[in-house]
Amino acid sequence: MSRAISAKFKGLILIIAVVCFVAGVATGWYIKPTPPPPKPTLVVIGPYSGSEMKAFMPVLEEAEKELGVKIEYRIYRAEELSTILPSHFAAGMTPGDVILFCHPVTIRKLAEKGHLIDLTKIIKKDKYPKAILDAVTVNGKLYGAPWVANFKPGFWYRKSFFEKHGLKEPKNWREFVNLLDKMRKVLGKDDVIASPDSAGWPLSDIAEHFIIYSSGLKVFEKLKTGEIRFTDSAVKSAFKDKLVWLIKYGYFSEPEDWTTIMEKWWKGEYGLYFMGDWILTMVKDPEDLDVIMLTAFEDSASKAITACFPDFIIVPKYTKYPKLAKELAAFLASAKAQSIRVKNGGCVATHKDVSPDAYPAAARGLAEKIKGMEVVFDLDDTVGGEFQTTFWDQLKRLWVEPEAVDEILAEIESKQPTP
Amino acid sequence: MKSKTPIFFLAPAMAIIALFVVYPIVDTVRLSFLSPDGKFIGLNNYVNVLTSNDVLNLKRFPFTHPPWGSLIHNAVWIALHLPLSLLLGLLFAVVFRNVKGSSIAKSLIFLGMVTPMVVGGWMIRFMFDRDLGIVNLLFRLVGLSDLANKTWTAWPQLSMLATILGAVWVWTGFSMIVYSAALATIPREYYEAADIDGASGFQKFIHITLPLLKPATIVVIIMTILEELKIFDIVFVATMGGPGGSSSVLALQMYLMAFKYFEVNKATAIAVLLALLTLPPTIYVARSVRRG
Repeated sequence: MSRAISAKFKGLILIIAVVCFVAGVATGWYIKPTPPPPKPTLVVIGPYSGSEMKAFMPVLEEAEKELGVKIEYRIYRAEELSTILPSHFAAGMTPGDVILFCHPVTIRKLAEKGHLIDLTKIIKKDKYPKAILDAVTVNGKLYGAPWVANFKPGFWYRKSFFEKHGLKEPKNWREFVNLLDKMRKVLGKDDVIASPDSAGWPLSDIAEHFIIYSSGLKVFEKLKTGEIRFTDSAVKSAFKDKLVWLIKYGYFSEPEDWTTIMEKWWKGEYGLYFMGDWILTMVKDPEDLDVIMLTAFEDSASKAITACFPDFIIVPKYTKYPKLAKELAAFLASAKAQSIRVKNGGCVATHKDVSPDAYPAAARGLAEKIKGMEVVFDLDDTVGGEFQTTFWDQLKRLWVEPEAVDEILAEIESKQPTP
Repeated sequence: MKSKTPIFFLAPAMAIIALFVVYPIVDTVRLSFLSPDGKFIGLNNYVNVLTSNDVLNLKRFPFTHPPWGSLIHNAVWIALHLPLSLLLGLLFAVVFRNVKGSSIAKSLIFLGMVTPMVVGGWMIRFMFDRDLGIVNLLFRLVGLSDLANKTWTAWPQLSMLATILGAVWVWTGFSMIVYSAALATIPREYYEAADIDGASGFQKFIHITLPLLKPATIVVIIMTILEELKIFDIVFVATMGGPGGSSSVLALQMYLMAFKYFEVNKATAIAVLLALLTLPPTIYVARSVRRG
């Protein structure tokens, strides 16, 4: 009896096995294999729009190929990110997986609160200037990978404009004022220097240029730490003797949106225009550009120019793809990615392995001109916070009310850090 | 024994109000008495805020032009914006009262009200621009070149005025609509009786229209004051409070403190001050509503 059950049981198992086999084969035959999961999409946030974005996109296209991911680029201005990021992060969210952001002070604050991923292991520290890395290092950990940087060398002019009117580049203050007076005759108006305005920063770049020119690097650096105050005589004279003098006598225009006034300058309504080197991507013919640096004059207190902090690549803790985001950050900071970007002009690489040949001709011309000049980070970005906003806003006032310079400097000083 | 049903039905609404209104208010007040590291510091944040030139600059007020501090700027907003938008709204409502096709004109005036404030702010930048501004063009036409050849938002003497005048354009639609609705409720018989008594148009306006518009006027005044006290977006876009803080207002100061400088405790102190300023008009409205 038990032997009969056992035989029946074996038969049943055999039948089940055959049915399973046939069903399996049939299913495999008719059902298509599951498609591979779609490529993840990483959201990259940066401040670049227009021509700068055009110059940046090839880098992201290369990253897509290299990492096998899709990348969606979204534009947010740095001023917007300063307010958006803290609130998003506080809620445990992020607007992007990889973010390009230029305010090291805010980056450090975000890192201290634990919102950012440590990038120490993906960055070779010896490949970048130490000062840049130090700006985003908290407790020995690196929270920002350096992207490209920009210089703010001085007053740009069109070579063709100078040639047409027989104007020459000045070598000292006296020649500079003579040049401005000649421009007044050529243009038939007093305000020959365009005053580009945004949140206030191009005006702050001009003011910083004048501080270095009149009072030198030591004063400039001590202003950052607060060891020298804005109402100290060295700073007052830096403002009053040259900058305020030019504003008072109407050489500078009324502040106007920096892109609008750039077009006017390019058309020949103004003779000079102060801007960072990203201007090389914004004009039709960058080879027609040259720059006058007061800080290269023979009577300059220091031979130096300011540079923006680079945009730092940060990875928020709240990204869905931390591994991929870190890989993308590493790629963007690499010599390969930076070479692609600098080829399109308007910036300089922070990675030491980027070859000089990677730069376009106009940028090489600028590089030649600033050779031997010391490069320092600008004042307002270094200090940041309430000081920066006040500095920008008060300079806007200085441009239209130069006689209030003492009061304006006192207001700026009230927000200056103390040592 | 009283029924517990009303409490049952009120409970969800009360819970939501407690969570999203009462708790944030209580926490805001609590934070305004703390330092950034959470220590109780009494009124220090309030003292810091009120002694800051950004909020109250009595060294300059009233003998020199702005910046006077955002608290005074808010008061200037009320002093200029309220009468201008109220009187213009009243004027348009009365003028268009019995005019055929006036609804088109009213709609055009009301457009400012339905335009987002941010767009309004941008338009102010253009309206007062030296080269493009329609206001500058008008001044040029009447020969006031000093005002015509300046971008108003770039000058401390003019930037607050530019934002206020621009906001008048935005806000006039509101008072016009309120007055138009109130005018429609005045019985025609009053005017007919006045006609029989030989009253002039001006006398009818002074003795019939204006007194009967009092409730509408109160609504317009209260709502406009509340709007002026919490004004933010127009100023943010048009001038960002500048140049040199000459057009800044309290709500903008609060925003900058909280979201730019991360000084949350000082920001909450400004928020409480702002709430205290808006409280009297709000209580007045609430009482008026209760009185019917």
